[in-house]
Amino acid sequence: MTQRRKWTAIPGLLALAIGAVVLSAYSGASSSQNRQPVQPINFPHPLHAAGNLKLNCLYCHNTANKSPDPGLPAVGTCMGCHIVVRADKPEIKKLWTYYAMGGPTAKPIPWVRIHKVPDYVHFPHMRHVNAGVTCQTCHGQVQTMDRVYQYSSLNMGWCVKCHVNGYDPQEGLRATGYVPDTGRTVTPAGERKYARYDCANCHY
Amino acid sequence: MSEPTKPAGVRRREFLKVLGAGTAAATAAACTYAGPEETGKLIPYLVSPDQTVPGVSTYYATLCRECSAGCGVIAETRDGRAIKLEGNPEHPLNRGALCARGQAGLQGLYNPDRFRTPMIKSGSAWRAATWDEAINLLAQNLGETRGRGVLGTGVFLNQHESGSFPAFLDSWLASYGMRPHLSVDFEADHGAIDAHRRAYGASWPRWNLADAKLVISFGADFLDGWGASVPHQLDFAEARAKIKDAPRFIYIGPRRSLTGLNADQWIASKPGGELAIANFLLGRGDANAASQASGVSPATLQRLAQEFASAKPALVLAGGGGDNGVELVSAAAALNAVKPAAGDAITSLDGIARTSDVIATVERMRTGQVAIAFVRGTNPAYALPKSARFADAFAKVPFKVSFSMFPDETTELCDLVLPDLHTLESWGDAESTRGTITLQQPAMDPVFTGTRSTADVLIAVAKKDSAVASRFADADYRAWLFKRLPGGGSAQTMTAALAKGILPGSSAARAAAPAAPAAITPAASTTGDFFLVTYLSPSLGDGRGANKPWLQELPDPVTKVLWSSWAEIHPETATRLGIERGDILEVKTSAGSIRVPALVYLGVRPDTIAVPLGQGHASPAQSTWFDGKDKAVQWGYGRYARAVGANALDLLPARSNAGGGVIGTTRCSISKTGEQTTVVSTEGSARQHGRGIAQAISVNEIDAHGEQVEHEVKPPGDAPHKFLPGLRSPVAADAQGELGSPTAADQGVLQGLYDPKNPAKMTKRRWAMTVDLARCTGCSACVTACYSENNIPTVGAPWQNGVVYATHSPGFNITRGREMNWLRLERYYEGAEDGRFTEDFEARFIPMLCQHCGNAPCEPVCPVYATYHAPDGLNVQVYNRCVGTRYCSNNCPYKVRYFNWFGYGEPDRVQYAFPDPLHWQLNPDVTVRTKGVMEKCSFCVQRIREAEHRAALEHREVEADEFTTACAAACPSRAITFGDAADANWSVTKLIEDERAYHVFEELNTYTAVVYLKKVNHPAGAVTAAEGATR
Repeated sequence: MTQRRKWTAIPGLLALAIGAVVLSAYSGASSSQNRQPVQPINFPHPLHAAGNLKLNCLYCHNTANKSPDPGLPAVGTCMGCHIVVRADKPEIKKLWTYYAMGGPTAKPIPWVRIHKVPDYVHFPHMRHVNAGVTCQTCHGQVQTMDRVYQYSSLNMGWCVKCHVNGYDPQEGLRATGYVPDTGRTVTPAGERKYARYDCANCHY
Repeated sequence: MSEPTKPAGVRRREFLKVLGAGTAAATAAACTYAGPEETGKLIPYLVSPDQTVPGVSTYYATLCRECSAGCGVIAETRDGRAIKLEGNPEHPLNRGALCARGQAGLQGLYNPDRFRTPMIKSGSAWRAATWDEAINLLAQNLGETRGRGVLGTGVFLNQHESGSFPAFLDSWLASYGMRPHLSVDFEADHGAIDAHRRAYGASWPRWNLADAKLVISFGADFLDGWGASVPHQLDFAEARAKIKDAPRFIYIGPRRSLTGLNADQWIASKPGGELAIANFLLGRGDANAASQASGVSPATLQRLAQEFASAKPALVLAGGGGDNGVELVSAAAALNAVKPAAGDAITSLDGIARTSDVIATVERMRTGQVAIAFVRGTNPAYALPKSARFADAFAKVPFKVSFSMFPDETTELCDLVLPDLHTLESWGDAESTRGTITLQQPAMDPVFTGTRSTADVLIAVAKKDSAVASRFADADYRAWLFKRLPGGGSAQTMTAALAKGILPGSSAARAAAPAAPAAITPAASTTGDFFLVTYLSPSLGDGRGANKPWLQELPDPVTKVLWSSWAEIHPETATRLGIERGDILEVKTSAGSIRVPALVYLGVRPDTIAVPLGQGHASPAQSTWFDGKDKAVQWGYGRYARAVGANALDLLPARSNAGGGVIGTTRCSISKTGEQTTVVSTEGSARQHGRGIAQAISVNEIDAHGEQVEHEVKPPGDAPHKFLPGLRSPVAADAQGELGSPTAADQGVLQGLYDPKNPAKMTKRRWAMTVDLARCTGCSACVTACYSENNIPTVGAPWQNGVVYATHSPGFNITRGREMNWLRLERYYEGAEDGRFTEDFEARFIPMLCQHCGNAPCEPVCPVYATYHAPDGLNVQVYNRCVGTRYCSNNCPYKVRYFNWFGYGEPDRVQYAFPDPLHWQLNPDVTVRTKGVMEKCSFCVQRIREAEHRAALEHREVEADEFTTACAAACPSRAITFGDAADANWSVTKLIEDERAYHVFEELNTYTAVVYLKKVNHPAGAVTAAEGATR
């Protein structure tokens, strides 16, 4: 190689290598953390899950403790209150258009999905909910989110960390935002909830 | 000095530099942030349905109508879609088992070739129509025909059903002045039904196989298509499982069917010669005369007579499909010493119209005596012999209506299609045994909103007609049906009954037995060197299964050939004529000829050729295979059936016997065409070559206490059947990697989930399976059940082959070894090795699946740890880690690992195995694999997890035998048992300790979790242990 070419080639390759390393940090399990899509109806969780109503998450996401699928409220569930409540507001009017009194033009609300694990992962909500993992541990304080965003990365490493290190119920309580943050105590290992991290637990 | 001109090489060098830099840049760019995974939308319900939890299955009890038997099934539905069928444990006929054809009912429900809307033929072109238009057209035609005064000549051909619908249909027909319908089933053995009625007072008695000391079958293939196979198989397997007290089984017939291969002895009689043997046993005639007529040696007949005299009681069955079918079955009934209990019969086979009556109706059509015709659920244009010339006769009927779901041959000849709903989408009932009504309820909403239940269509048509509307006051068929049921269809009765799927009581009895049969006078035997035997395909039946890819992909249990037709010929004859496997032969009879590849088979007489029925569907409009893209209606019974194989019915003269069934045997001649093809088969070798895969033991070797008299020398490395919790193998450390290894950095202190003290307690379990080869009959129901449960793709369709260097033909991928069946039924022959004809050979069936070896050869060789041994004993395959080196499959001695050579699971690839709406059937609990991924039996890990989740929700442990794998659940022989071998409460733990238990390839030290129980042979007479011993 000539001198001139050496000074072009080596720094060039070095630049490519550094670039690849740096950019690879963004590679692999591309995370959708913090994604906050616009929804067809601007449903405000703070109004429903906090404030005066303080509806339990399971009121709408009713199968989270029975099924791998957490469940999404049927349009009829919303209408249960909104047939009278705030019927004049524009967002509720949108709801009414979707429900259309259950008539022929009724269509379900096409919510934009935020949390999704790949198809080769089988995530059972009910095992987690029944083990005492608070919703906010993974989903953040949804009751404060005007528009829901993805709080956790949902990467496999993030899941496995909890399965291996154990779930700390105190930490879970603190995550809800309903418990005052007084004196950070860490539950000893013996009292934490451990779970399987065997591959075939989720990947089948 | 001028500058040297740049030689061309410099330019190339620059090009390569640019190319290299560009590639590097592109690669770097590709490694960047690719964006979040597409998540799509979440669609809620409008109104939350009752009792449906998304993500959890809902089960409906209903019934199967893939054949006439009417077994009860439980349909598992998920989010409103039926995804799996299993037998209903409460049903008296099938008691929880379900055959391959029943499993494949889902592929009829979700068949991509189903009609989506009514169709009207104008000229020769078909067009879609609305229901209003279609019903009006039918009502109009009915009115016009009545106006001409000929409506009374109308003919309705309906698939044979038991239950209330036949009565409903007849009342509808009567209100229009039409005669009662013809209840058609081309699979029925009319000769046997006729003789049974006379001898036993029932069309199809329940055979008490449990009470027999000897079973003799004169060509009655009771395990593969004769009558209701599932109850026969359940009872037969139970009887054989008694080991010491099991009956010996002798099969007499020209071709050794699957039933014949399960027999301890085959007597190869000429077609039609069985009657002489039966008469001989009855004491009419001597051995020599019988020998002359049947072609069986007098010595064999004498031995048979001796055995028949000494082994009492003997159960004698016969098939009535031959020329003298009725006399043969009557003779068998006279010989039969195990009389069926009076009143205990399979009533679903009552009232089937004789094929001779159907043919007589066809003749009336031909002479213009039929003004209007309806066809529902049956395909006479295909299933009647071509010599009956159905198409010509049918064309003479001025107006023809089909209610078919599929674009079959008969429908193509019609003028109007009013597509029916599938059994799983509609209401109905059946009566398989007297006193028990099986209820049929929809397991889901119709897949296609443009299809309607025929009964509801008939009511709608009647309501339009002022003359008959008054007779049809009910809003729909469901209302009509409920009123007729015991309990009047009250909510209280029905809620309880529908949960079980059965209702005690009886629908109206069928019409009395018909008058003395009028047989079509048999013509003189046609000439030809060979006998031709045609037989119902165990998977395709009379052809109705050909549009379901699972059934096309299911290797024939006897020949292991799939996606094809073939002609079976004995090796002795083949050698004599210079015919080899795959040579295309022209088989010719007086009725017609077909071209099929030759298949050498030990189980056929040297003077006999055997050809299966079920293939050769065709359409005059479309003669080529589906190309994978065409959007038009796929006539010829759909994309999976059209132009696959040949129709053996083209060879049969339309002759029927005294019972009214078409005679399935005739004479033929064969000639070589000079062409050759590779026979599509999954079989590697038909012989074990001393490998000891399917082992057998003579019943004489098992002494009175059920222990083996002689213990075989066990090879080194034997795995005694102690299934210790967790890993069994002494090389456990190797299987679990560095975890727990004394040489690991932490000296093996950390064992993770493999530690028995780990709170997850995974090591408490050791999942294992036993397969009892004394019960297994080779039916292959387990294979299709596995396809259904685990989203296994079918790969043999003509258009699924590679894009380059591939031949587009059915089964091409199979010939390349790309079949995906996680569980396969292997069949090995023992004996008859010199190619000369002998009746003395044995067939051994062995289901082969991933053995979940404790010391698996596949685990250490995966470079990316995509396969490993789980602490609970499973050999796990993690699809998303797999990069497709295929080293694991290379190392597997059982060859039970399957690679996705193509994107069978990817919708945009041409090899996609689940064209819309077949993908609705996919099990959401099992990943659909993409190209480049290895897959194999997982011991239904999704069911294990489901049971564990359910137990955790209910705050309890998983109970013993709480759940089982799909294959074990389906098996009508109850040969497969699955469970936790580390827990004494599970059934499998006891079975593993059975004296007949062994591991396949024990000497390889694989420590398999699948334990086989040796087949038990029942040799004739008292033989010494040395004579009877086999390995």
